[in-house]
Formats: sequence, structure tokens, C-alpha cells
Amino acid sequence: MRQTLRTFLLTLAALALIDLAAAGALGWAAGAGRLGGLVAYFDYGRSVPGKLAAWDEAPDAPGNLADIAWRPAQLAASAEGFAAEDPGAGPVLRAYGMSFTSNILAEAEALDPALSVDRHDGPSAPPNFTFAQFLDDRPNRRAGDVVVLGILSSSLPAMAALSNQTWAFEQPAPFTYPVFLPEGDGLARIEPVIETADEARDPALAGAWRAQLREVDAFHAPVTFGATWADASPFLRLVRRSLAKRHIARVERRIEAGELYPVAEVLPRMIAAFAAMAREDGQVPVVLLIQGRDGSDLDLLALTAPVLEREGIPYLATAEIASPSDPANFAADSHYRPEVDRRFAEALLRLLP
Amino acid sequence: MLFTDLTFWAFFAVVGALYVALPHRAQNRMLLIASYVFYGAWDWRFLGLILFSTLVDYLVGLRLGAEERPAHRKRLLGVSLACNLGLLAVFKYLGFFAESFEALAGLFGYAPGWVTLQIVLPVGISFYTFQTLSYTIDVYRRDLRPTRDFLDFALFVAFFPQLVAGPIERARTLLPNIELPRQLSWEALRRGTVLCLLGLIKKVVIADGIAPSVDAIYASPDPARIDILFATWLFAIQIYCDFSGYTDIARGVAKILGFELMRNFAQPYFAADPQEFWRRWHISLSSWLRDYLYIPLGGSRGGRWRTYRNLMLTMLLGGLWHGAAWNFVLWGAWQGGLLAVHRAFAGRHGRVGEGERRGALAWGWRLVKIAAFFQLVAYGWLLFRAGSFAQIAEFTGRLAGAIPAPGPGAMPAPPLAVLLGMGFLLLWDGWIELSGDMRFYARWPVWLRAALYAGMVYLFAFGATTATSAFIYFQF
Repeated sequence: MRQTLRTFLLTLAALALIDLAAAGALGWAAGAGRLGGLVAYFDYGRSVPGKLAAWDEAPDAPGNLADIAWRPAQLAASAEGFAAEDPGAGPVLRAYGMSFTSNILAEAEALDPALSVDRHDGPSAPPNFTFAQFLDDRPNRRAGDVVVLGILSSSLPAMAALSNQTWAFEQPAPFTYPVFLPEGDGLARIEPVIETADEARDPALAGAWRAQLREVDAFHAPVTFGATWADASPFLRLVRRSLAKRHIARVERRIEAGELYPVAEVLPRMIAAFAAMAREDGQVPVVLLIQGRDGSDLDLLALTAPVLEREGIPYLATAEIASPSDPANFAADSHYRPEVDRRFAEALLRLLP
Repeated sequence: MLFTDLTFWAFFAVVGALYVALPHRAQNRMLLIASYVFYGAWDWRFLGLILFSTLVDYLVGLRLGAEERPAHRKRLLGVSLACNLGLLAVFKYLGFFAESFEALAGLFGYAPGWVTLQIVLPVGISFYTFQTLSYTIDVYRRDLRPTRDFLDFALFVAFFPQLVAGPIERARTLLPNIELPRQLSWEALRRGTVLCLLGLIKKVVIADGIAPSVDAIYASPDPARIDILFATWLFAIQIYCDFSGYTDIARGVAKILGFELMRNFAQPYFAADPQEFWRRWHISLSSWLRDYLYIPLGGSRGGRWRTYRNLMLTMLLGGLWHGAAWNFVLWGAWQGGLLAVHRAFAGRHGRVGEGERRGALAWGWRLVKIAAFFQLVAYGWLLFRAGSFAQIAEFTGRLAGAIPAPGPGAMPAPPLAVLLGMGFLLLWDGWIELSGDMRFYARWPVWLRAALYAGMVYLFAFGATTATSAFIYFQF
């Protein structure tokens, strides 16, 4: 027993020494701006409050998402842009989506320089963000505009989340969005307690926000938000990252299985409501179904085909143009390659009136 | 309940705490209940199958022990074979053969119109069926006295560490380990923990880290030649780490409880020919096939051509044991063919293995042979992993350059942790291969051992951020 205890204690001591050495090396590398990939690999395991605090401390650091995609700010910018538009300049393509839609639209603009595009994106934005932005941006559209609703397969489970903070653990952009739930024939909307970057930094709102996350957000867990002291240890960061990813994957599987949130019920209702409102306003609705490279994602086309056909909504499904199971279609960051985006853009342009 | 889930380790902690507090007989009863809970966590409906198999072989064993008449003994053995192989036939192969018949009939323009059989494969059925069968056959051959204690026998069949993916234990080694009091020791705890850690590194860091890259190529409609080549090599590493990782954890958990499970892998990719490979790969299955199939078929006793036939038959059935699909049969045929060709050209050779002393030139030549033979093994894994005959033909054609393929590769690169894990494993396996000592580190000073363990823990944490998947061999 003594020998085992000795070995155990020495192992702990060695682990602590390795951890100290790793912390020192990572600190040096971060300071010297070297080994960026490795530093990021360890930083991914910081707690969500730890990452947000680090972003606040270094607002200009690359990859800082603290002030990105806050909805009221985006709507205000949209209103400003709308006011500055020339109403006689012709219809505008107004897109509510994420980087995938943005990339496709960039290719579309390159193909058709006359195209006028107004983007409303959030990083990995789930349909509850894009749909909410579409609803709230209503005053900033005109009859004749084309409205694009982007839906990304990998973000579908986040329909049960109020913010990327809870489900995009490695890049927890703090911007928030509502959760939509079925109510009667329509949808009820649960607004997040926090809606702006300033509110997110307000300690007075922190308690209410955490309470709402606990109550409403299917992904919220102590493993991602708690024990911020563990951020000091690279080893504990690795452990947290592993546990967090497992937790998020488990919740995603349950949501995809229809256990924790009715994606299969809410998404078609969103699409139907989107098309109805756009048509009521004299606009052309287009749904962009972006199937990501993860083969375990829900099949967007299978999930939405009935409502798209029933309502006669024009749509573009990336899976019908480029196989999501072909790795050659993807760049290293999991986005589609520009040449593939160009094929999507060509198909999108064919859909436009 | 996967070995890589925290729930398993919580379960094991509870089992371990109870185990320490109980006397020997009660330990066995508790382990039996725990084993059924473990298996029931997969699907409680299949507990009935295990109980059926246990009851049949227990009763057949008892009767065989008391029966002297050869004809009656044969009949009793037949009952066990019929029940166990019948279970396999229904739950594992019926759907496969029905679909194959339908496809064949379709070739002749006849559509039987059968309802597709929706039979769910009970996890681990091939493993525990072979384990119980070996008991009955050993009793029939009078190599083993039947046990009278039904509950001990039930534990032999259902012992949770090795229930769902082996090693396929023999009753003559595991039953005495169950029947006699076991010694719990700190030494066993240390050794078991190291085995568990090694298994977790193999599975979580390497196998699960490689899986997305390999899966992407096998799912790709138009893979590049270079990608197929890398996917083939990587899958060879993935399946080794996945399966031997499971075995290491199973052996480690069992060791902590005072059980000694057999070694299932002995650095198989250091083999230089097929005969040596099968002495190193899935040893519990290859020795089972040798003892209960190859030798009863006549082994190498009936001349050259009979030996080839027996090798082929054994490996074909070994392939089919893995799964109800033609690509497993093809893999078995490939392995049988390699063994037969090797036997034809090289004849039989003595054991080659760990700790063998060689000169530099002999080592150099051996490394060349190892590298060359690895290509043949890896191609066999392509047959094993492929989703269809069409994919086998397509991939083989592209590898051989007979079918045009896109030039640049697009395989997603495995994470850095995989490379670190592979480097670590190469050193670990290489050290065992050279020293012939599986516990080479035990002779190190304690501070160096502690540094090794700490490094292993760190490596595990470094690679544990990959998405985990079920063990490949659970499907068998």
C-alpha cells in the first residue's frame, strides 16, 4: 500500500510539474505570438465566463466575438442602412444567416455585380436567430425585395438555446436570441434576459441571465460555466473541454432525437411563417438549406421538404448541388470551398425573379 | 454503457466498493448482478438470450459430466451447438441470408417479396456464444469438469469486463478464477490502472481521433487515390487501437478485481507474415478457431491441399463470425488466402515474437518484411471496412490506378493528439517487442514510472476532446 500511495503521490506531483511547464510554455507562446494553434487548443477549454473575460481584456485579439451579432445593434445598423438606401434603386436581396450564407452571397455578388445584398449574420447562427432577425427587421424591407432565410444543419440543435455561449463551447459568442416553442398553430417566443453587449457585462443582470439559461436553455451546464478557477491549469482546461464537448454532443443527440426540443415541429412552422410574412409584404421568400459536413446532422431537406412543397417556397438545398459527404467540397475550417459556394451562388441566382 | 463513458466508471466505482466489502461468494453474486445490469443497460430485452444460453450450456455440461455413452454425449453436444449456433443464426445471420437470397433471386428475375427482417443484433452475442460453446466442447472432450454452481457459471458467461467484446475466455482459465477466492492487491490495482489508461489512450486519443478522417473517405463519392491509401493505413491503426484498447480496459478492470483475462493482442503490426499475424491479432478468437474448428477439420494433418482447405474454411468462418455481410466473408477469404499462400511458399516456421534477439542486418530485413506485410493486412482492412462490393471494387481500382481519381487529397487531417498518441504507442509496443516484457516500465525507478503515468494522463486529456464513438467490435 505504501508503495502504491507513493507512486500515486509522485504521479500527482509529476502531473503538476508537467502542467506548470505547459502553463509556462503556453504563456510564453501566447506572449510571443507563436504556436497559435496549440495555444488556442488549450484555450478552447477555458470556462465560458473565462473566455468572455479574456475577450473583454483584449478587445482587438483575433477571434474575439464579444461584440459580434448582438441583435438590437444589428437591427439598428439595418435601419440606418435602409434609411440610406435609394428606394428607386431596385430590389435588395436581404439575407438572414451565418458565414455559410455570407460566403454564398459573396460569390453571387461576384457573379452578378448588379446584385444588391443586405446581410444579417451571426456566427453559426441557429434558425431562431435568423428567424428572429427576419421578424424584427420587417420595417427595413420593401416590397419586391428577396428575403433569404439561411438554415445550417449543424446549428439546428441550438434552437433549444438562447446563445452560442451554451452550445458553441469553443467559440462562445455571447450574442443572444429567442427560443421559439409551438403554441397553438403558431410559435411562442421566449426572449433572452440579455440582448446587448452592455447588458452582458452588467453584473446586476448576471444572476437573472444564469437563472434563465438554467430554465430555458437545454445546453446550459455547470461544466461549461462553473469552476472558473480551473482555467489557470492547462490540464484542467483539457479536462473541461472534453467534458463540455461530451455534454454538448449528448444534448445535441437528444434534441435530434426529438427528446428535449421539438425541432421537427418548430422548424417547419418557422419556414411557413417566414414565407407568409414575406409574401404578405410583397417580397420573395427563399430558403437556403445548408447541410454541413457532419454526417450525423439532421437531414435538412428531409425535415423541411413537406412545408417547402406545401407552401410552394423557393429553396436551395446545398445537398442537392454538392454532396456533404464529399470531403473535397470543404475547406479545412469546415466551410464549403469557394468553387462550391460559386455553384450554390449560381443556383441561387437562378432562383431570383 | 461504454468504457469511455463516465457512467461506466461510476458504475465500476460502485461495483469496486461493494466488491471490497464482500466475502468471496457474495462477490461472485454481486458481480453477476452487476454484469446483468451492465448488459441490460444496452438493451434489457437481450438478457433473456444470455440467460437461455447460460442455462442450456450449464445443463448440457452437467449431463455431459454424468453421461458415459458416446452417442448420448454426442447428442448433448448437438443440443448445445444447435441452441448457441441457432441463436447466432437467428439474431445475426437470418436477415443477411434472407437478403442475400432475395438479391440472388432478383438476378434471375424472381422477386420473392419477403418482408425485410428487422432483427436487432444483440450486442456481444458472438463473443459470449463462443465462450459458452468452448465450455461445452471442453466438457465433451473431457478437458474440463463441469461446474455444479449455476451462478458461478452464469458469471463465467456474463462477466461484464469482457462480455461484449472479449477476450473470449476459456472456462478452464476463467472458471477457477471465479470459483476460488481472489487476492486483491495494490499491485493488481496499479497494473490494472495502467492497462485501463493505456486502453483509453488507444481508444479515445487514437481510434476516435482517426475515425472522422477515415469515415470521411469511406463516405466520399469521389475519393482521391492518396486519400484511399491514407484511409486504408489509418483504418488499420484505428481498428487495432479500438479493439485492443477495449481489451486493455477489460483486462485492466478485471485485474483490479483480481481476475486474469488472457492477452488478446501482441503487437500484431510487428508481424512479418500471416501466420505470425494470427498469433498476435485477436488471440482469443484465433486460438478458439484453431482449437475448435481448424484442428477438428484436420488441421495440417491431411496433406498440403487439405491444409489449405482447412485454413480457408477456418478463416472464411472467422470472417463470417465478425458480421453478417459479404465483405467480412471476403476479408476471411483474403486472410485464408494469405495463410495458404504463405504456407505453400514458406512452410511452417517456429514461433517468432517479442524479445527475440537479432543482429542489425536481421532487424533491417525484418523491418522490410513487416512494412511489406502491413500493406497486405491493411488491404484486408479495406475489405473489412468497405460498405459494399461496389466500394471495394472502386477503391481497389483507384488504388491500383485502374480507375481515374481526382488528384489532390481532401481527407480531413487527424488532430495533433492522434500523432502524439501514435508516437507514444509505437514506442510502447516497440519497447515490448524488443524487450519481450509487457511490463518493461516496472523495473524503472519509481520517479520515472510516476513521470510515465503522469505523461499518459496528460496525453489522454490532450486527446480526449475528440468525439467518442462506440467500439467497432461491439457490432460483432
